[in-house]
Amino acid sequence: MVLWQALLGAAILGAWQFLADRGTLDKFFFSRPSDIVLRMAQWIRTGSIWPHLLVTLEEALLAFVIGGIAGIVFGFGLARVPWLGALLDPYIKTLNALPRVVLAPIFLLWFGLGIWSKVVLGVTVVFFVVFFNTHQGIREVDPVVVNNARMLGASEWNLIRHVFVPSALTWVFSSLHVSIGFAMIAVVVGEYLGASRGVGYLISQAEGVFDTTGVFAGITILSAVVLLVGWGVDRLERWLLRWKAY
Amino acid sequence: MFRAGSGGCVVSDTIGCLDHAFSRPAIRFENVTKTFGSYTAIRGVSLDVREGAFVSVVGPSGCGKSTLLNLAAGLISSSEGSVSVFGERLSGLNRHAAYMFQQEGLLPWKTVLENVTLGLTFRGVKPQEAEATGREWIHRVGLDDFSSAFPAQLSGGMRKRAAMAQSWIVDSGILLMDEPFSALDVHTRLRMESILLELWTAAPRTVLFVTHDLEEALALADEVVVLSAGPASHVVSRYSIDLPRPRDLIDIRTEPRFVELYREIWASLKQEVLKSYARTE
Repeated sequence: MVLWQALLGAAILGAWQFLADRGTLDKFFFSRPSDIVLRMAQWIRTGSIWPHLLVTLEEALLAFVIGGIAGIVFGFGLARVPWLGALLDPYIKTLNALPRVVLAPIFLLWFGLGIWSKVVLGVTVVFFVVFFNTHQGIREVDPVVVNNARMLGASEWNLIRHVFVPSALTWVFSSLHVSIGFAMIAVVVGEYLGASRGVGYLISQAEGVFDTTGVFAGITILSAVVLLVGWGVDRLERWLLRWKAY
Repeated sequence: MFRAGSGGCVVSDTIGCLDHAFSRPAIRFENVTKTFGSYTAIRGVSLDVREGAFVSVVGPSGCGKSTLLNLAAGLISSSEGSVSVFGERLSGLNRHAAYMFQQEGLLPWKTVLENVTLGLTFRGVKPQEAEATGREWIHRVGLDDFSSAFPAQLSGGMRKRAAMAQSWIVDSGILLMDEPFSALDVHTRLRMESILLELWTAAPRTVLFVTHDLEEALALADEVVVLSAGPASHVVSRYSIDLPRPRDLIDIRTEPRFVELYREIWASLKQEVLKSYARTE
């Protein structure tokens, strides 16, 4: 299967290369695989890509951590204090319904062109994913498990530590993929709209001078990184949820 | 702990058992009624569970057997009447009782050892000490090779063993069991019942065991209590089981005295089962 998958990829790239060489596809608009590879090699050789990549990853990581912690805390609080949950419910739903991208210009004004405007944009996306999963995780706890723990002498704190938090984390872990992916998308969009560094910035710069090769090279590097991160998250998730996988 | 010999008192006697003079009941239900909204689960139940006795409660489905256990556990409170534990009126959770639920409440993210020692962890027992005690109990229920397995890796029978060790490790005077083996196949069930009796013989506690299976109730208990069909169920009759201990659960079911007792209790239980059929059809 892997062979066939590789062949399919090669066929598509080959066709692209062939059509661009023949002039059927305009190189100005579509670039060429060989040019893109050369550009990426050049970026990597000169090392000019690393600072951009690092900034993007840093922003995504910060967005993920801050949004994740806030999501867990709020999800937990609102699930355990029902009246607070009821009070904030319409606001949370409204905020979540808002397309987050439209907030990017506001955050740019508020937090400037540095990393924080992107981090905050990422946080607004990650927060809701983690929040809803934590909330669900706590509501999904089997009452028998809770009663069993209480009969075994669990205090409120014991219940939180041994029953509710692990249950919520189960849901959060299983949404790691989504939240990390969202964090990456949000920070790249943020960079694209206004930044001085980052892969998103690189792509927007290339676009500004009609450098299609640069755009494609940026996109390729970004997808490779996301795939790599996804693979890592997959391993992490499998380890964290190892008790489930039987 | 004081424990009266089995068959030593006539529990069906309305005046009560002579033992009461010098042994307070572990659990006492006094004229207990429990309603859920407009539904009356049990009405006017009075029942003493002697300290150290193994008491089985049988009755048709939906007769409020679980309600009785939840009241004794303090998970719910009575609408009328009172529940006392070792002479003290129960309010809030019953701290003298462990509870084995029909569906075992093991934490899926903890290993067998961690689950078994949960009660010790909650009581602040040192980890090494808890582990040592935990391994001992895991050995007693025959799960030695699975102490670091997660519940999802275990069969239904093995999960029951873990749940049993989990509820027995806590040295509580009372053990409440809600149809713990009803989901198991016949042979696994017999094995679990034997393990339960072994544990009970080694460390006697007051057991209130709810089941819909009269054979199981009879094979295990010192006393069988028959509840009427719900709603508003009440105690219909009580039988002292004078089968000698230790009991061999494999053969006991064909012994003449067992069969005799079975006939006698079934005559009473049958009426209630038929009533419950009539109500649901």
